[in-house]
Parts: sequence; C-alpha cells; structure tokens
Amino acid sequence: MKKRTVVLAFILMLVAVGSLSAQQYYIPLISKGFQHQFWQAVKQGAEQAAKELGVTITFEGPETEAMVDKQIDMLAAALAKNPSALGFAALDSKAAIPYLQQAQAKKIPVIAFDSGVDSNIPLTTCATDNIAAAAYAADKMAELIGGAGEIAVVVHDQTSRTGIDRRDGFVNRIKSKYPKITIVTVQYGGGDQLKSTDLTKAIIQSHPNLKGVFGANEGSAIGVLNGVKEMGKIGKLVVIGYDSGAQQLAAVRSGEMAGAITQNPVGIGYQVVASAVKALKGEKLPTFVDTGFYWYDKTNIDDPKIQAVLYQ
Amino acid sequence: MAEPIIVVRNLSKAFPGVQALRDVQFDLYPGEVHTLVGENGAGKSTLMKILSGVYQRDSGEILINGKPAEINNPRAAQRLGISIIHQELNLMNHLSAAQNIFIGREPRRSGGFLLDEKAINAKAKELFDMLHVDLDPRVKVGELTIAKQQMVEIVKALSFNARVLIMDEPTSPLNDTEVEELFDIIRHLRSQGVGIIYISHRMDELFRISDRITVLRDGQYMGTHRASETDLDQIISLMVGRKIDETARRVPKGKPGEVLLEVRNLNRGRLVKDVGFTVRKGEILGFAGLMGAGRTEVARAVFGADPVDSGEIYIRGRKVVIHHPRDAAKHGIGYLSEDRKRYGLAVGMPLVDNICMTDLPTFMNALGVLRPKKMQEASSEQVEALSIKTPSLLQKVKFLSGGNQQKVVVAKWLVKNCDVLFFDEPTRGIDVGAKQEIYQLLNELASLGKAVVMISSELPEILRMSDRVVVMCEGRITGELDGATATEEAVMKLATQRETMVKTA
Amino acid sequence: MANKSNAAAVTSPAKMASRARGVSARQKLLAFSSLVLLIIVFSILSPNFFQPYNLIAIMLATAVNGVLAVGVTFVIITGGIDLSVGTMMTFTAVMAAQTVAVWNLPVIVGVLVALLVGTICGLASGVMVAKFRIPPFIATLGMNMLTKGLSLIIANSKPIYFTNAPSFSKISMGTMFPFLENFQIPNAVIILFVLAILASFVLNNTILGRYTFAIGSNEEAVRLSGINTDRWKIAVYGVNGLICGIAGILIASRLNSAQPGLGQGYELDAIAAAVIGGTSLSGGEGTILGTIIGAFIMSTLTNGLRILSVPQEWQIVTTGIIIIFAVYMDMLRKRR
Repeated sequence: MKKRTVVLAFILMLVAVGSLSAQQYYIPLISKGFQHQFWQAVKQGAEQAAKELGVTITFEGPETEAMVDKQIDMLAAALAKNPSALGFAALDSKAAIPYLQQAQAKKIPVIAFDSGVDSNIPLTTCATDNIAAAAYAADKMAELIGGAGEIAVVVHDQTSRTGIDRRDGFVNRIKSKYPKITIVTVQYGGGDQLKSTDLTKAIIQSHPNLKGVFGANEGSAIGVLNGVKEMGKIGKLVVIGYDSGAQQLAAVRSGEMAGAITQNPVGIGYQVVASAVKALKGEKLPTFVDTGFYWYDKTNIDDPKIQAVLYQ
Repeated sequence: MAEPIIVVRNLSKAFPGVQALRDVQFDLYPGEVHTLVGENGAGKSTLMKILSGVYQRDSGEILINGKPAEINNPRAAQRLGISIIHQELNLMNHLSAAQNIFIGREPRRSGGFLLDEKAINAKAKELFDMLHVDLDPRVKVGELTIAKQQMVEIVKALSFNARVLIMDEPTSPLNDTEVEELFDIIRHLRSQGVGIIYISHRMDELFRISDRITVLRDGQYMGTHRASETDLDQIISLMVGRKIDETARRVPKGKPGEVLLEVRNLNRGRLVKDVGFTVRKGEILGFAGLMGAGRTEVARAVFGADPVDSGEIYIRGRKVVIHHPRDAAKHGIGYLSEDRKRYGLAVGMPLVDNICMTDLPTFMNALGVLRPKKMQEASSEQVEALSIKTPSLLQKVKFLSGGNQQKVVVAKWLVKNCDVLFFDEPTRGIDVGAKQEIYQLLNELASLGKAVVMISSELPEILRMSDRVVVMCEGRITGELDGATATEEAVMKLATQRETMVKTA
Repeated sequence: MANKSNAAAVTSPAKMASRARGVSARQKLLAFSSLVLLIIVFSILSPNFFQPYNLIAIMLATAVNGVLAVGVTFVIITGGIDLSVGTMMTFTAVMAAQTVAVWNLPVIVGVLVALLVGTICGLASGVMVAKFRIPPFIATLGMNMLTKGLSLIIANSKPIYFTNAPSFSKISMGTMFPFLENFQIPNAVIILFVLAILASFVLNNTILGRYTFAIGSNEEAVRLSGINTDRWKIAVYGVNGLICGIAGILIASRLNSAQPGLGQGYELDAIAAAVIGGTSLSGGEGTILGTIIGAFIMSTLTNGLRILSVPQEWQIVTTGIIIIFAVYMDMLRKRR
C-alpha cells in the first residue's frame, strides 16, 4: 500500500510540473552547462525575456562541457517536444548537425548563442562581440598608462574563436589608435593560471619598463596578476582582466587589478529568447546580435547593474 | 577382514610451543565409521588436517591401501580418495547444487566452449539418487537449509570417488530429524564400503553411529575401542583422566559477599534456553561446556550485545533492562571477548588510549577536548594495580605480550568501575607463563570484590579457578557444581548431557 | 522429480526450486514493471513522449550507457567494481580516431584498434586486482585517471573528427532496417541488443560465466576447488575492457568525433544501471536483462522528465530518489 502511495505522489508531482506548459510559444534553450554562475546568469536573462514576451522556456545543459553526447540527448528530447523555436550553444557543432537538420526540416527556427554553432542553420547568433570588448580594454589600458609605453598580452590560446577575437581586438586597437604604445609580446598560456603566471614573470623579467599586461580570460588574468605579485610589481604595473570569478573580483575590489571586461550573460539569455520570438513573428534577423559587455573596476563593481552580470 | 584403507603409525606433529600430536595410532577399514573423540585441543583437528593434506607430519608413517603415502596438499588427498567436510561449508551460495558439485570439472559441449547444464544436472541427480537424497540439482545452494547444504558437500566429496570421508562436527548445526537423515546417509555410505572418520562432541551420537572409537588426549593416543564393547563412562575417563594439581586450586577468601548479578529465565534462540544463575561479590563463577554449548551467547545476551527473547536481569537485587552494551556498562557489567584483537583492543594505538577508550567523555573538558594528563593518570593507576608490564603508557598495544594485552582489556573495564566481569576464554592463545598471570589477575579481581564469570573450555582451568562451576550443554544449564569438589568426569558428564538423553533416561 | 509421493514433506525440492526461480523472476518483473510504469506515466502526461521519434531518442541515449553497464555487470558479479569504464571508453574512441582520422587507415582497422586497446586496459586492471591484490576500487580509479590523461595527450586535448571517413558515423547512426520508414532503429541500438544477448549467453552458458558467478559468491571455495581464480578474474576485467571498446566505437561514431575530455562520470551511470537491474554489489548475483532494463529505466526517466520540462535541478533530484528506491526494493527482497 505504501508503495502505491509513493508512486501516486510522484505522478501527481509530475502532473503538476507538466501542466505548467500552456498553449503558447515554447522555446527550449540547450546551453553548454547549467551549474556555473555564467550559465545561471544566461538562464536568468532568458527567463526575464520569456516573462516579458509571454513565452515558455526551458533551460538545460550538461554537467560538464565535456559531455557532448549528453548535450545531444538533450537536443533530441527538446526536438521531441515539437518546440516553436530552439536556442542552442553547441559544445561540438559537428556532432549536433543531424539534429539541427531535423529542426530545419521541421521549420523550427534555431538561435545560436555564446560561441555559437558552426553551421548556417541558425538564423542568428547572440554573443559577446569579443573584438569590440577587447578593443575597449585596449582603450582603458592606454588611458591608465598615460598613452605611451610598453605593454604585453597573455591570451588563453591562438585557435579558439574567443582567443583570436580578443587578441586581435586588443592588438589592432592599440596599433591603430595609440602609436606611442608598443606591444612587446603576445603569449599563450592555455588559460592555465600557473602557466600564465610563469609567462608573465618571464615577460616582466625581460622587459623591465613594462607598464601594463592584459589577460584575455579568467585563467590568464589571474595568472598575470599572480606573476605581477610574485615579481613585486603590484601598483607599478596596470593589470587588466577579462570575465569574472571570485579571485578576479577580489583583485579588482582591492585595486590590484585595474579593472576587467565582463560579458553580459543576462543579455545573452535575453537576446536568445527575444530573437526567437522575432523569428516566429516573421521578422528579419541580423546574422549577429551583440549582447554587449561591461567594464568594471573598483569604482563601479558594487553597482547593481554590474553585480548582475558578474559571477563568483 | 578387509585390508585397512588408512593406517597411521606413530604420527607426531609439533607447532611452535605445542606438541599437537605425539605417537598417535589410527586406522580405518572400508565400510566402517571410526569416531575420534577428545577435548578441545586434544589433536583431533590436527590429525584430520594431516590426513587431508593441509598440514605435513613431522614423523611417523601413513599407509594408504597398504602403501606409504605422502599427502602434500589437499589435491593429493583428493587423488588418494580422501575427502573432508569442514565444519564451515565451502559452498557458493549463488550457484545451484549441481554447479557447486562440479565446479572446476564442468561437463562441456560444442568443443569445450559451452557448459552442458543438462549433463551437469543429470549427473548430480544420479549422485543424489544413489544416496537417496531428495534434492533438486537446480536449486541455488543459498536457498537450502544447512543440512541440505551439507548433503551437497558430501555429494561433492563423493563425486571425487572418495573412499574415505572425514566429517568434522557435522551434526552441530543440525536439528534431530536432520541428524537422523545424515545418519541414514552415513549408514548408506558405510554399506557401500566407504570409510568414514567422524568427529563429534555429542556423546550420545557416538554409540549410535560408531563402529569404533579412538580417544585422543593432549595429542596422545589413549586407545581404540569397539563401540559395542565400551560405554560412555569409560570414554569420558579416557578423555579427561588428567591429574589435577590439587594444591593449585583456588581457596576462596572468606565467605562470598552479596549477590551482584542474577539472571533468571534467559532465552535467546537455540543456544540460550531458560538460563539462570547468580554471581556474588568476590566470587569466580566458572562456565564450563563444550564448544557451541551457548556460554558465549549467554554472556553476550546478558551484556546486551545480542537481543534476548525473554528473561530478567537483576543487579544487586534490582531489576534492570539491558538493550545495548552501553546499558550493561552503565550497570557495571563488563565483557571481555575471546578475540581480543577483533573486539577488545585497538592494537595499533597506545596503551593509554586503549585504557581510556570506553570512557572518553570523563576525560574531556567542557569544550570536548581530551585531557591527556588525566588520561595518563587514570591509566598509570591501572598499570600499577594490574602490574601491566610496559615500557611506557604510550607503547602501542600490539607490542605487549598476550597476557599484558589481556590486562589492558581488563583495565578498560576497571576504569569504568565495572563490578561484574565476564571473561570469555581468557587464556586462549596465551602461553603457559602468561596463563599464570591471568589466573593471578582473576584471583586479585575477586579479592578486590569484583564478581568474575569465567567462560573456559579447558577443564583443568575451570576446576582450578572456580568457586562454583555452571555447566552448559546445547543452550541449557545442565548442572552446577561446587568448585572445591568438582571433578573432570562430573563436569564432562554434565557437558554432554543432551536434552534427548535426559528425556530417554 | 522421482519420488513425488511424499508430497507432505515441507521442503519438497520441487517447491523449493520453484520458489528459487520465483524470487529471481519477481525481481526481473519488478524492474520491468517499473520501466513499463514509467513509460505509461510519461505517455499519459505528455503526448510527445510515446512517439517514434522520441522512443528512438531514448534508445539512442541508452546505447552507450547500456553497453558500458553490460561490461561492468560482469565485474560487479565477481564482487569487484570498475570505475574506469567511462574513460576507458574515451581512450578507445581516441585510439580509433587516431587510427582512422590521423593515420588514414581503414575504418575496420580503427574498430579493431579500439577493441584491442579496450581489452588491454581491462586486462591491465585485472592483473592489478588479481595479481597485485590492489583493491578494485583503487586499481580502476587509477586506470580511470590513466586512460583519461592518455586520451588528452594523444588527442592534444582537442576533439578528433572523422572528416575523412564519412562511413564511420554509419556504425552508430545508420540503420539495418531502412524499410521501417517512421521507426528507423539506429545501429547503435541494434548493437546494444546483440551485445546484451551475447553477454547473457556467455554469462549463463560458458565456463567464464560460471566462474564469474562462482568467484563473486565465494572466491575461497572456488580456489579450494582447484580453479585458478586469478586468471578468471583477469579474464573478466578483460571482457569488460573489450566491451568498453565497443562503447568507444559507438560514441565516437555517434558524435562523429572522439572527444578526449568526455567519459568521467559515465562509470557511475553504468554501475547505477547494473544495480537498478538487480546486480548485487557484494557479488554473485546479476543478469544482463536486468542491467539492460536498469539502463532503460535511467534513460527513460531522464528523457521523460525532460519532455515534461521538469527543471534540470529537479531532474537530478528525481533520478537520485528513483535509484535509491530501486535499490531499496532490492534490499527488501533479499531480506525476505
């Protein structure tokens, strides 16, 4: 008897949850993850848009970014629900192609987000314009070192889209706008803190007149910071970072790091849902939706608007 | 008469510190049941293990079918047609009866790749039918009763074409009807010409199943008798017959004091039936009996280690409820188990930690931090009182001698102010010198006004140490003797007095 | 039964046999009816659930975990455990990709390399467990990290794509029954079922299967029966490795790439599937059918909760509850 009660309670729970889906547009979002602060912020933005626009969404992602097959299972289940549209941030675009083709065949609009989907099926991609964001970091760097001197760049890698875009955005802006500033070197630390620390120390050693270093993602930025610290150059060198994370936030707050660029995950989530609704209404979409970015430093880090896009 | 299958002449075997067998004689004819009896430690198991290839003899001769034989390992024994059924059955519970019997010798088909389940079941069925065992070969062994499992072991042994079957205490886990079934099978095997070596503690069985009986005592051969030409008294006197050093007997100092512990009508399962006894202050009560008589079970039940079915316990005349060893300790009852390393001591830890372990809360300050100084004071008090020989309080217990380890266990309970102490086989695995220490310790504890209950399977020890002796057999108390006048024969008689005998007597 | 005449006997062997069979049948029935119940409940709650497309999605989602679970069932029945099945699978996938995509060898060579590499890793775990007496938990945890690290090194931490061998993806995603228009069962699923039937046969009808159960039931007794238990244990771990190789091929072909970072965590899903299916972690008991049902219960549950749009956090909670419940039912059954 007891067993039957348990089963019944379970069924009722499912009914309660299941009945939430009403007769409106349903847009599942399949992301690259769900437990990181970054993805939670994306989810939050998507939910906000869903509420404003009167659509239903679900947000799912695998436990780690390595679980490509689990993401595909999620995609398959989402398609089985005959969704109105689909938001997707591919862990591996090629593995997802068959399912995206199915979506296309069923005339389900696909909106890519974050680093996007390497395919022409998605109608648009909602992501940070990394080139513009890195260029802004370059402007800030120039401002903080007084428009002249030697600086260095530590990037996570030279093959990923974000690595290339952030490097080029930063380097090109310095070259075109600040002729008195020289970039002495661009080094790649794999996004690994320790490796980036060692790189930074070597750079400082060989360029004693260095005035600033830009770290192009969370791991690189913290590596740069540690390198500067270990060389006893805190306060003498301008460190600019990218993204957030507890260590970086603390460094910015204390002033050890001059400031950093943060993406706008809430904006990403919002734009995915907004773009999907536009597509469903038959509106034309641009091929790329810039979801924006923010500069944060000691002065504005506690601003609610900034806090909303930072993660620990 | 036929040739004997086995002849053993002047067999000797020593283990470090013990002469387990000395010049033992033994023989076995086809189609007979030859029973080996003797007290615990008389050498029965050693002899069995030599015959089944587990141990090697030191000297002497073994003839199999008239030819000298070397039995170097269990496989060699198997090849010579000797199989043994151990007390602990060696079966795979998740496999069927047939699969167990033919493990390692499975009939195959399709070029040796596939198992032939039909053949295996048919062959097993054949063996069962031959022995008139009513068993489905496909049933999983784990689902069978112990008795049926034993049948499977027997059939497995016979499937090796065994001509000698050694059975070590086969009836101890069986009930009366099951024993009957087993005897039927033994008689059947006997009629088929199989020689059976039978070991048992149950004296009444002896005369029902044996053709001949050989008695061992302290590793020595005491003689072989036809079952039809001897009686229980003669066998028992051969088994015990040791001289007791009368002067060593304990002389109680003064009159025993008040009753500290009284147990009434205690029942738990098959091994504790309607048990009642009392222990007084300053007294040593001996608990005698054969292995499996239920003595340890009584102690564990009183101590709250196992739940009881019914019964009452009184401490100093007041009724108490004991559900858990915690309760027992609270009422001042301590239990020192037989296996010190497993239950009694954390051998890798220092003396002081072991002594204080059961009573740590009293050695903590208000914040729950231990106070090493207080612990060391309490420990050194015990070390002195019990004269534990140790270089330091921080010595790890595993480096102490067996006797001193035993004392540490005692100290643990004394720290908790226990008045009633159960000692379960306190001298097992301890050398002679250390035994003396333990005896002294028990005497001292008694003179300190503790009530001591000593469970022992060694008769001389029981007689030497006890003020009173309680004897158990198969879960019942079969009698109580005065320590000063008790004899080994009297104890042994009570220890073998089975319920069935009482009824038929 | 020869003498059925004494029907009065309480423990008549015929009765006992039927009771024994009844228990294991009841267990299978319990797991199977749980699965059926899940399917019925989800079908009632969502019209999207019981659709050919979704059923195929479920089967496809079961394929890899199901294959791993079959392998680990062998090991668990011996009373051991294998925590390396997920990363071993990845390692075989990477080796297959290296062979086919980097060295440009034929697909069949890649498949054979995966199976060989899996078997070798499995045998290595077996030797550690049987010969070096390293507890299975630790030995296979080491193998887990070892194969994970090797995968990352060989693939240079990046996925390897089978761009030069389009036929590779057919191994999983093609179908042998193209005529079933709306219900094209992918090969990965067929491979799972064929493997399950084979494994079940090996477990019940070969000497390897017999010793697998025997060792798990009472290893000492098997040794005393004169059987080289070490050798058979190593063989069991080897079989598990071989099956991990099959899983490696399936996942690589499904993703059309070898993902070197994947695999961690998959071992627990496989073990859970086996346990839900009635395999006893203390050894001696288990069936392949049960394991397959267990794997299907897990994937059906995950899929169904997704179809019902249950928030992801609650999906995890629910799956946890179901696993505990399933194993608890099993404990209840055994206590009887």
